[in-house]
Amino acid sequence: MATPERVVLAAAGVVTPIGQDLEAFWSSLVTGASGISQIERVPVADLRVQRGGEVKKLGRIKDWRGVPDCRATRLLIAAADDLCAQAGFRPLPLDPARVGVVVGTALGGVEEGEKVLAGDRGRRRLPQALYDGPGWALARWLGARGPVITVSTACASGATAMAVGADLLRAGEADAVVAGGYDALCRFVLRGFDALRSLTRDEVRPFDRRRSGLLLGEAGALALLVRERDARGPRLGTLLGYGSASDGFHIAAPEPEGRGLERAIRAALADARVSAADIDLVSAHGTATPLNDRIETAALKRALGRRAHEIPINSIKGSLGHTMGAAAALEAFMCLLSAQRGLIPPTLHLEEPDPECDLDYVPGQARPGRPRVMLSTSMGFGGCNGALILEAA
Amino acid sequence: MGAPAIRGLGILSGEPKSADARAISSESTPAKPADWGSAGAISGPPHTKSLKNETVDRPLQILALPRPDRPGDRFRRATRECLLALAAVDAMLEDGKASREAIAGERTALLYVTAAAYGASNRAFIERRGGVMHFAYTAPAVVPAEVAIEFGVAGPYGILIGGAPATLRAIEQAARLLEAGTCDRALVLAVEIFEECADLYARHRRSYRWPLVETAACLWLERGAGAISFESARDGRWVAGATGPGERFAAGPLADLRDWRGRGMAGPVELSGRWRGEQARLHWSPEESHARGSAA
Repeated sequence: MATPERVVLAAAGVVTPIGQDLEAFWSSLVTGASGISQIERVPVADLRVQRGGEVKKLGRIKDWRGVPDCRATRLLIAAADDLCAQAGFRPLPLDPARVGVVVGTALGGVEEGEKVLAGDRGRRRLPQALYDGPGWALARWLGARGPVITVSTACASGATAMAVGADLLRAGEADAVVAGGYDALCRFVLRGFDALRSLTRDEVRPFDRRRSGLLLGEAGALALLVRERDARGPRLGTLLGYGSASDGFHIAAPEPEGRGLERAIRAALADARVSAADIDLVSAHGTATPLNDRIETAALKRALGRRAHEIPINSIKGSLGHTMGAAAALEAFMCLLSAQRGLIPPTLHLEEPDPECDLDYVPGQARPGRPRVMLSTSMGFGGCNGALILEAA
Repeated sequence: MGAPAIRGLGILSGEPKSADARAISSESTPAKPADWGSAGAISGPPHTKSLKNETVDRPLQILALPRPDRPGDRFRRATRECLLALAAVDAMLEDGKASREAIAGERTALLYVTAAAYGASNRAFIERRGGVMHFAYTAPAVVPAEVAIEFGVAGPYGILIGGAPATLRAIEQAARLLEAGTCDRALVLAVEIFEECADLYARHRRSYRWPLVETAACLWLERGAGAISFESARDGRWVAGATGPGERFAAGPLADLRDWRGRGMAGPVELSGRWRGEQARLHWSPEESHARGSAA
């Protein structure tokens, strides 16, 4: 079988609770900063848990004229603004018809739906409430006139979006693709996770014996993907492979043995044409729920074999919360920045390792290391499992 | 790229002539609440919903599907869109003369497409109908998840949000997965329901071609001969659209495919659609899979 065309991440841009550009995001990760705080933008007084990874003020863009008054859209566009700054362009230096947009989200513009149902009759609210509304708004802001695709594989959405973006390039449908993920904190999701009792009142402690749940966060994370033969100048790294698999087990709970995640990892390794022995770093989904971290540990052991015990594995959700549709993209960027900067960010708040999570989960401080090939895993509602394989530039 | 062969196609449609349909024919504007927590079906008579029509000459109608009856405690909380998806897969298996075991396992890919089917469950959760524990059912991902759980589908998956162009893209993606050997069969599932958000669609009446036709469809593809090609272009207009009568959003191309099969599958088929200003076309010479009926 022919080797698929290689796709590189030429640049990336983010807006997160720990920094509103890629450098600030990275600095906060390696210094162990936390973006968790009392949620202020939406009412939470009636909720059991009132904290999360909230972006306090979207300071990147001063003039929002022409952009819908939609939090999700603005997070996405703020991330795109950073991407343009990192890549050194705007408008796009390409034929707009050859630039695609692929974004992943768990919630789309659902907050706009909340406003509509609360009586807001604004003309633009309803189109934004559909889950693909923010993606189309991003395309308009960028001036991109190629394919616009929204994927919603729950909390694996960011990984799926980058894989679909790479497919667009390989199929020749676009010459550049802005791909990634986003989600905003809103009443809808806060109330939902609060009801599910998935949220912790403690710190988010991935792989820690005392872990008691996750906290939600909001973010936007976008990469500029191009075919390797078209890439000019510096780049972050290469997207080598992607794998996905359904659990086919339960609507909200992961399959207890992590078989779906294991299949996704194996599929990603095969797609990337690398073996477990090639993996130097794993960015785990690591939500800090009692079930997730144990299941993920078991899946990593089976999929990577002995190699799982030899390599660093981290989770950045202790720093910024679970950013849902943005999570996988942010974690992919973290992997590539680790390779570029020679440092592996720690798993924040991991202090007492769980004997059932007995891999090297990088507690304490950032650790020197320059991984070459990296695996990033994602799991989501509905048994959505995704895995990305990335290679250093 | 090699064109996939059609092994089966199941469709439940709100068309008046269809036995699946229930017609809602009142002048009521408010949406009917979702049937949260109901273990059984809405087994009332078929009906069509007509909405207030202040500025448009055409009647604003929604041709609705009933909530399918599916026994079992597991479906107590399942949403109407989930149950319709399961019924569409049942219909597909019947069309393909195959048992459910034929699509089980890791070698079956599942691609789900919808523009708005999640609207009903999102609205019910926002309006606190059915209780907050239904939150998990608000995710678009639960529709294919119910299919995966019920039929044991455990292979690659994808979920695209959008109208007809997204479905055409999903068929092309399925062709790519089959050609690459990533799977042995691929299911393209599309579900669109409108009734619970009827009043909201009426507010944006000019954006859609009425009537809105609720549809759940599942297409079973396997490796085949021939060719398939996909193209899309943008014209910047925010208009939904399909080729057949009425509006089915993402389910439109599969209804068109059904009609083409009904005409005897003469020659290649061109499926097309539009959503938010994107136009897409799929040129395809599908064949019926030779395996059809052999795995029952």
